[in-house]
Formats: sequence, structure tokens, C-alpha cells
Amino acid sequence: MSPMRCVILLAGLLVSLPAAADEFTEQDLKRWEEQFQAVVKQGRELWTSGSLGTNGVACAQCHPNAANTHPETYPKFQKQLGRVANLWEMVNWCLRNPLEGEPLAADDPKMIALLSYIAWERRGVQLAPGKH
Amino acid sequence: MSRNFDRRSFLKTAGLATAAGTLPMTLVEVAFGQSSRNFTFAYISDAHIQHIKGNQFVRNWDRGLIRAVAETNLLDPRPDFVFFGGDLAQLGTKEELDHGAEILSRLRGKLYCVMGEHDYYLDLGEYWSKLFGPHYYSFDHKGVHFVVLNSILTYDDWTYNRWPTAEQRMLEMAGLDNPNGSPFMVGEKQREWLAKDLAKVRKDTPIVVLSHSPLQKIYKGWNFWTEDAEEVQALLAPFDKVTVLYGHVHQIQYNKIGNIVFTSAMATAWPWPYPQSYAQVESYLPKLTVHMNRADPFFERDATGWQFIDVYSGRVAVNYNLYNNKARRVAYNEATGQPEDTQYQSPDARIPPQTHY
Amino acid sequence: MPKTRSGPLLVAAPAFVLIAASFAASAQQPDRPLGLPPVPVPADNPQTPEKVKLGEKLFNDKRFSLTGEVSCSNCHDPNKAFTDSPLTTSEGINKLKGTRNAPTVVNAAYFASQFWDGRAQTLEDQALLPITNPVEMGLPNHDPVLEIVRTDPEYVAAFEQVFGKKGEEVTMREVTQAIAAFERTLIAGDSPFDRWYFGGDKSAMSEAAIRGFDVFLNKGRCVSCHTIEQDHALFTDNRFHNIGVGINRIQKDIPKLAPAFLKARSQGVDVDEKVLTDPRVSELGRFAITTSLDDLGAFKTSTLRNVAVTPPYMHDGSLKTLREVVEHYNNGGVSNPDDPVNDFLSGGIRPLNLTEQEINDLVAFLESLTSPRFAALQAQRMAMNPQACLVKPSRTTTAAAGAATAAGPAAATEGATP
Repeated sequence: MSPMRCVILLAGLLVSLPAAADEFTEQDLKRWEEQFQAVVKQGRELWTSGSLGTNGVACAQCHPNAANTHPETYPKFQKQLGRVANLWEMVNWCLRNPLEGEPLAADDPKMIALLSYIAWERRGVQLAPGKH
Repeated sequence: MSRNFDRRSFLKTAGLATAAGTLPMTLVEVAFGQSSRNFTFAYISDAHIQHIKGNQFVRNWDRGLIRAVAETNLLDPRPDFVFFGGDLAQLGTKEELDHGAEILSRLRGKLYCVMGEHDYYLDLGEYWSKLFGPHYYSFDHKGVHFVVLNSILTYDDWTYNRWPTAEQRMLEMAGLDNPNGSPFMVGEKQREWLAKDLAKVRKDTPIVVLSHSPLQKIYKGWNFWTEDAEEVQALLAPFDKVTVLYGHVHQIQYNKIGNIVFTSAMATAWPWPYPQSYAQVESYLPKLTVHMNRADPFFERDATGWQFIDVYSGRVAVNYNLYNNKARRVAYNEATGQPEDTQYQSPDARIPPQTHY
Repeated sequence: MPKTRSGPLLVAAPAFVLIAASFAASAQQPDRPLGLPPVPVPADNPQTPEKVKLGEKLFNDKRFSLTGEVSCSNCHDPNKAFTDSPLTTSEGINKLKGTRNAPTVVNAAYFASQFWDGRAQTLEDQALLPITNPVEMGLPNHDPVLEIVRTDPEYVAAFEQVFGKKGEEVTMREVTQAIAAFERTLIAGDSPFDRWYFGGDKSAMSEAAIRGFDVFLNKGRCVSCHTIEQDHALFTDNRFHNIGVGINRIQKDIPKLAPAFLKARSQGVDVDEKVLTDPRVSELGRFAITTSLDDLGAFKTSTLRNVAVTPPYMHDGSLKTLREVVEHYNNGGVSNPDDPVNDFLSGGIRPLNLTEQEINDLVAFLESLTSPRFAALQAQRMAMNPQACLVKPSRTTTAAAGAATAAGPAAATEGATP
């Protein structure tokens, strides 16, 4: 096939196909944002609940508004884990240690909610991976 | 580098190198002005004894208070008395207050207590009074006038009308970052009492105020705040030497407003981030403050501790005894007229762990 | 070749051949075994083969003691991984007992301070103190040492060759520098753990040890003080912590003991002498050195390398086996679970709630930290005391089922009567 006919054929395909790739509307954005905020809200509830561990201690007691969690610095060398690690692993460290509870899987909905809340409270801060 | 190989002097040198971080436990006198007017007291604050169930309390906070009491008991010569700076309990329950009181009872010497919001909002301090006495009061000691305020009150509406149960009210006040919270204040009644109390005091009598909330406006979102700070400061302003010691913030802070020196106490339970660590708000931290060292959370006692205070010539020096962390001393500098860290105040003297973000 | 000495030559010979061989492999620079960073060498004391040889000679010289019977190697015996295992506390001249357990010299070069309480900054500083301590080598001062090194023909030649000094120019500085240079060659990594974790050899550690490593990092909370990093593991944070060993004995006395000690110290008492001769002062730990309340009962984090061949454990040698050590930590800082925890306990110590399996696995992990040159010594120990790494005899049934599947060579001795 000649190159020109390839181009025309291709152009035709592009025009005729329904919504492809990452097309999204204002409503999609609004809906997804709401879904995300719902998870952030759930994260906040978990954050203040004291039910993640076994001793009633809540994340918010030491980390009001998720301060001092530094999500922008991960992954980094984490002394308490002995290696370069990611934020969720440190969340698990806190669940095990000050909260005397059990760790969560990285994709556990509760973990996702906690991470969403942490990131939301830290929005706008520049990435600084590796920073102690 | 020359080395002196005499074993005795070597060990002495090794010891002295760390002397800056130690407490004055030897028989050295802090001698300024009239020595009979110099004295010391210990200041333990924010124990947050937290009940789990039955006979179980959060071990982490228990150990913090136990250690502070044990170390205070080691002070030699003995301090004149001990202050407890508020928030003995976490949710103000009888179990928590009893358990905390039991640990405090191991202290040698007289104990004075300051009310904290975590002690107050369950029963409005009723059980507290049975254990520790009045919520606000004053006394004189070796020429210094001590005032203890209950500075964690809040608007009547919030206290009496807003919440369906006392437990709910306590829970809402217990969350530091709770948007449903309400700002602390001393309140009109106490300010009137304070005005009358101070009317009897000479202007050159040193005054030390013990308060749980900062009697300043630092960051409202975490109630590092006293709503009527200006009014209270105005009552204190006429006096020559005023120091306000406050708890609640669980971190090192110090400041001077007018002629009033403010210095915070550490918690025995856990440290809090500085307000600047919350990226979504502007916050004001006293410019003078050299931050405490950051804590390693593995060490449950890191960046917790208690204070040992020298009062000399009516001025106050606060020695922070922090575990797994750097001991700090914040003292009034006569030359500059402000409270300063005796080791780290100069910008060149700062160390990396003092960087918070 | 090494001089003749009393003791099992069979074990001594390979150790020294290995040291000589590993050193010959890199003439000017010490080895960097797998799992360890380069040995820190001070700029004013570079390594040379002749200096190392001189240091070794000094290390073994019994003339540097009041009775002519005690050298560094008495308590730091090359045949016992440079300790005096199984002694709980060391014995000096005339069998005088001290208060502390002799730490191994192996990998001591990586410490930021020496002794259990860190009272010496460097290996050079450390070498001075035992010579004049009354319960160690017992000399009144260092003059007898100087007399010998300045007049003994072999030493005269060696100091001239190594430092270009003779006569009065030879001082304790040169003596301790030579000893330290020798000690800087006593490094050992390349354990089964190193080969598995840093070397990528999936078969290097047993299943039990691998599970034990997970305990070490997570439930056991060991890694925060016994540090591991991305490409090496020192197993020590070089800090001092009160973990509740020994201090419980003096807890009630601390309000009197601490101020009394401080008073004595301010009046000039010799701290090095006091901590090794007074068992109660010894328990004050690093507090005796820094007078900081935070250091009450605190001792230096040991390295865990080769821990299986350096029993007994802790500053007072009070924990005989690795299992007892793990149980002490599991109990939250008391050796007997019914004892109260001391008031000054480090905030890093708390009850761990480990299961029997986890305890055994953690012990298996600790045993995987032995370097090849001490593997024979470890095998010897396990043969002599198989129960050391297994569950307690009273819990044989269920735990035995676990141990039989998990442990390697130890399982073969399962059920042997103690």
C-alpha cells in the first residue's frame, strides 16, 4: 500500500472510532474526585479511630492532621526497617509498634484509605525522595 | 593531636566532654544574687495515661511517667517541690486519674497540679478536685509568687450545650486536630480572680505562672492557643519578672512577649510535630525557639521527658531532660533580655536533627 | 608462623593462617569481607604488615602484667573467637575477677567507642586501660611496658623498623598504635547471612534462619539497634541502651548509689578501676562515664556477628545461651518474666509476644551470623551443647515437631538427653 493511502486509512480510522485512549469528561473528573475524597474521609476516620491496633492508640494522637509523616520523602532508607522502603511499610511499622496491632497488605482498602488521607494532608509539597 | 596518656585525666576529659548534656546532680549551687532566694523544682507534664480495659493501660505512656518520677526522685539536692503540668489522663476517666495519681504518689516531696483539658472535659474537673484540690490558686515561695491557672476552659455553649453526653464532649476535646474543637481560654471569672490576686503583689516580686495552654496564640488548629491571651498578658505586664510555664504542646517552645518569658514543657507521653509540619496552614512559632531534636519512633521515650527548673534571682532556667535525645537548657539571658538555649541558640550552633519540616 | 602457645594448636593454627592469608591478600588495606564496609583506619595510624605483626606480638605478651601471666590474649583468646568464653566475667592476675564479660575483638574496629560503657574512644585508647587495672594486668603504671619495649632486642628492632623510633622515643602511643593495627585486621564477615542477603545465594541460609530474619526485622524489633543497611550490616548502632540486664539487681539502691558514685567521681576516683571492681557501680553502665540520667544502666549495643561462638552474653555474662537472650527481650527487658521492669528501661524495649517457633527461628538466624573462620568453633559448641539452640526440654512435643522440620544439623541431635 502506498504511504499516502496508509495515512488516509489511518486518519479515517481515527475519525470513525468511538471515544478512545484517556478521554474523560468534566463529570468523570468530578465523580472520580468525589470517590477519592470519600476514601480520604475514610482514611481520616481510621486515622482518629484508635481501632487499627489493640491498645486504643490512634494515629492522630502523634500525627495530628497527618503531620510528620513526610509522604513526599518516600521511598527512602528507613532506619526502623533496615533498608530503603516505601510509605506503606512504615505505616505498617506504626501499626505493629505504637499501636500494637497487625500490619495491613499494601492493597488493603484500609491501607489505601490511610495513604490517601496522608497524601491529601500533604498535598502541594514537593517530592523529595530519599530525604531523611 | 596530642594525647595525655595518664589514665585518670583521660577519663576525666571523656566525662567532661558530655557535661553539657547532664543534669546538675552534684552539689554545685546555682548562685546568682541572694543564694537563699535560689531554689529548684521539677516539672512533669502531659502523661496522658490511657485506659484500654480492665487493669490494662497503654504501656508506652505509663513508662514515660514512671521514668520521669523515678528520675525526679534521684535529684540531689532535692527540689523544693514538683509541679504536674496537666493532662494526667487521656480521657479524664476515674481509672486513668487514679492510675496516674498512683504513679505520681511515688514522688518524694510536695506535688502541685495544673489542670489539662484531657483531665477536665469528662466531669468538668470534679474528680480531679478530689485528688488534687482547686483548679486555680496561688502561693508564695521564697519570695516568688506562683500562680496556677486553669487555662483550658472554653466557651460555655460548647462546654454545656453542644454535646449530648460528657463522654462525647471529652472525645471531641481529646482530638488535637479536631475541627469540632473549641479554643482554650482562661475566662472572665479567672481573670477577675487573677487581677485581685496580683493586686496584692509588689511589682518587683518575681511571678511564675503555671498554665496548661500557652497563654499565647501560636496555632489555633491544634489549640496551641489561648483565646484571651492578650487580656491575661495585660494583667501580668506591670510586673518586672514574669515567667509563664506551659504544657500541652509536647515540644520545646520559648518566647518573650513584652516583658513576659514563656517556656513550654515536654510531655512524658509522646512528642508532637511543630505546627510548621502541617503543610496546609500558616502557623506561627516563636522565632526564638530552637526546635527539639527529632525523635526516632522506635525509642518510645525519644523526645519525651521532664523538666528541672532553677529559679535564681526571680529568673527561670528550664533544663529539659529528654531521653535518647539531647538535653537542653533554656535560660533567661540578662544581656539580651530574652530566654535562650544555652547551647544551640546561635544559628551556627544548630545541628541537623533540629531541622523539622 | 605463630609461636608455640598452650591450648589446642589444631584450632589456633588455622585461625592464624587465615588471618595471615587474608591480610596478605591486601598488603596495605585491610580486607573488606562480604557484608561489612571498609574498616575505618585513622590517618595517623596507617596499616602496614610489620606494624600488624608487632601489634600481634604485643597483644600476646604476658610480661605486661604484674605477675607475668596475663596478656591481652588471656581474655581475648584467638582460639575462642578472641573472648574467654565460657567465663561470665573475666579473670586477670591471680585469677582476680572483674565485673564484665570480655567482648570479642573481632570486628571491634567498627565500633565508635570501646568497652561496654564506651569509656575509650578508639582501639588505641582502649589498649591502655587493662594494663593498669588492678583486676586485669595489674601494673601500677605503664613504665614496665615501656621498659620492655625499649630494651628487648626484638621489640627494639621492630619499633625502629615500624615507627623509625628507638629509646625514649618509643612511647605508649606507638605501643597502642601497633596493637590497634593488629586488631584492625581482626575483621570477619561473609557469614551465611551475608551470602544470602548481600551475596544473593538463596541456599546459604536455612529455612528457620530465613524466618528468623523476618522476626529480626519485624516482630522482634531487633534491627533498630542491631542495624542492617542497604549494602552492609554492622549489627550495632554504636549507641548505649538500658535493656534491663543487671540493673534490676541494684534498682532499689539507685537513689543512694548514683549520687554516691557522682560524689566519689568528682573527688577523683578512677572510673575504669571502679567499674571493674565494684559490681554495683558496674551496673550503672554508661552513666558512670557521662553522668547523664539517660545513660543509667545503659550499655553499648554489641555486634551480633559471630555471636554464636562468644557466649555467655551481656555485659555481665549473665545470659548463657542465645535462647536466654531472646527470652530476655521477649519478656520486655527482664530475664525472669515475673520480675518488674526497671524504671530506666530504654524506650525501645517492650514485650514481644513471640511464639516458640519465632524464638527458635530467631536463634537460628543469630547462628547464621558466624563467619567461616569460626564455623569449626561453632560446630564444636553445638556438638557439646545441642540444647542451646533448641526449645527447652519441658516443651519438647509441639516444638519438637516444628524444630524437626525447620532446623538443619541441630535436628539430628533432637531428643538427646541433656
